[in-house]
Amino acid sequence: MAYLTQPDYVKYVCSCGQLKPITNLYFCRHCLQIRCAFCICHEVDSHYCANCLENMPSSEARLKKNRCSSCFDCPSCFHTLSTRATLAQPRQSTEQGSGDTKVENKQPKKMYYLSCFNCRWTSRDVGIPDQPVASGGWPERANPYATRVNQLLDYYKAIAQQEKQEKLDRERKKFAIRGKYITLTDKTGLTGAMARNIAGLPSSESSSSAIASFTPSQASEEVEELPEEFYTKELNLNQITSMPQRLASPEWQPTHVSRLHPIAKLLSVKRSQRCRVCDHNLTKPEYNPGSIKFKIELLAFYHVPEVKIISYEPIKPGCTSALLLKLTNPTGHEMQIRLMQPEDIPEPEERVDEPKSIEKSLEKSLNLEKDTSWYETVKRKPILLTECRITIPDVTLTLAQRDDAAEYDDDATHDANDIILWRKSNKLALRLQVVTSGEAQAGAAAGAVLALQYRYRNAVPPAAQPPRDHTLHAALRLHLGPVCG
Amino acid sequence: MELQDTYYNKAEYVETASGNKVSRQTVLCGSQNIVLHGKVIVQSDAIIRGDLANVKTGRFCIISKGSVIRPPFKKFSKGVAFFPLQMGDHVFVGENTVVNAAVVGSYVYIGKNVVIGRRCVLKDCCMIEDNSVLPAETVVPSFARYSGSPARLITTLPEAMPDLMTEFTKSYYQHFLPTTVN
Repeated sequence: MAYLTQPDYVKYVCSCGQLKPITNLYFCRHCLQIRCAFCICHEVDSHYCANCLENMPSSEARLKKNRCSSCFDCPSCFHTLSTRATLAQPRQSTEQGSGDTKVENKQPKKMYYLSCFNCRWTSRDVGIPDQPVASGGWPERANPYATRVNQLLDYYKAIAQQEKQEKLDRERKKFAIRGKYITLTDKTGLTGAMARNIAGLPSSESSSSAIASFTPSQASEEVEELPEEFYTKELNLNQITSMPQRLASPEWQPTHVSRLHPIAKLLSVKRSQRCRVCDHNLTKPEYNPGSIKFKIELLAFYHVPEVKIISYEPIKPGCTSALLLKLTNPTGHEMQIRLMQPEDIPEPEERVDEPKSIEKSLEKSLNLEKDTSWYETVKRKPILLTECRITIPDVTLTLAQRDDAAEYDDDATHDANDIILWRKSNKLALRLQVVTSGEAQAGAAAGAVLALQYRYRNAVPPAAQPPRDHTLHAALRLHLGPVCG
Repeated sequence: MELQDTYYNKAEYVETASGNKVSRQTVLCGSQNIVLHGKVIVQSDAIIRGDLANVKTGRFCIISKGSVIRPPFKKFSKGVAFFPLQMGDHVFVGENTVVNAAVVGSYVYIGKNVVIGRRCVLKDCCMIEDNSVLPAETVVPSFARYSGSPARLITTLPEAMPDLMTEFTKSYYQHFLPTTVN
């Protein structure tokens, strides 16, 4: 929690080179690598409304333009609107004066309107009639340019379709030329398309009606003059909407507060994360919007040893300061940790090329193989140069597994060791020395780097294999406040 | 950074059998309607209005100095009615904060100088930043971080939020120690 209320004092290096606090990192159990939000694939799992917490299937969400059908935001302050009930006395029909109707309308009817509890805007302010039902049934406004927008959409969809078709045809043609004998493509009417192509005709027989009937918009020289009252009428700024208010409803962009209408609430999404290298899920939330549980939750917080700063002496140029760190083993297995300098981390071995099987080469020819070139462009070397250097003790620390019952145990055991200050179940405190170079400038942010080599037991291997131990590395950067003068 | 120890005067606090630590300098109205589920810290000058309706908190809740926990009311055509206030486990309420919510879920962090309006619903795993105002009847979804006045969603919280909050409230409780008078 301290992670959310304090600045990030300890940042880990992600496999892509980003520096992030451990809470924002993921750990792919299949690649055995640390991943961050920057180098993984985010997927939309489900849509839900943050106010009524109701799920909406993605097809329906697309149809409703990702907006909830029953919840509204205030057009003035963007807070959620609440439904309020009033008792409305039905209008007495005095003109007709027939006795029957009077008896029927004796009961006061419950009517509902929308009200904002933050800015006191109500749906009555803009003349929206009260509704007889508590939720839904609010009048929907039609977009004045709906037909034109739909026309444009159809047009571009048709063009996209056509271009896709042409591309497909071209590829098929390439393929067909190579063939010496009658191939399947001959049977699919491709020769006809080729014949048309040779003759210089468009490859598809009929362009779709959406393209044919489309009329492009015309730019006109003459612009309507502004009305006279625009210059003469005194402006009441309280009646004019602000820019965010206008842009909240882009279809109408009301300029006057009397034209502000409730905005249907935007839906939220539940996301699942996927490793882009091995395509395994890193997190997958439960479907229910109210649930905080995850079906899959591969977070670095649960797999990588956590380092916290307990305290440190002020960093002074040319001096040695003490630094107290707390190491925690979050896994359910015993863990051996060695401290090292980040430059001593062995370079990851290049993946040995798997023997090329027929399937592999086939996959390659069909472009089914995963393209990982993006990764190289995204990846970068983190800047880990600092003025401070941590003196690394040459010891292997053994951390017990995480045990939830251990909190009821006795107090910490104090070691006589100069390095280990105390131990308590899966945690231990370390005393380290930080040597600051004499060139460090006073006032600049002091940072130190550290690397961990740890034994990680992969308890759930991909296939039914016995659990395997791996030696993994994690580099991290500690922020030790400003350099004192 | 690891939490630092906070010390309290042993004479000022009452510690119950279930581990609740309640300051004597608090206003607990209608104490028969207040249920603290164990290991809850109620610090000095906090006010809990049990006289209006039931107030229930879970385990490991921290009610900081000068905060007010007050069950919400709703106006009906025939007067007003108060609703019970429920709070889950591992909830932190910052200093000088007013909580009028109907439900506060588990693993919720409420900063200092915050006003939570009437009948708000704070779902599990959410965070309200310092100096925010949450207008009445707002629903804060899970893993949302709200800030400002009126408070709005600014970002999402990490997936490990339940564990972060558990660790935070537990270590707060462990670091909340009586001063040793020699």
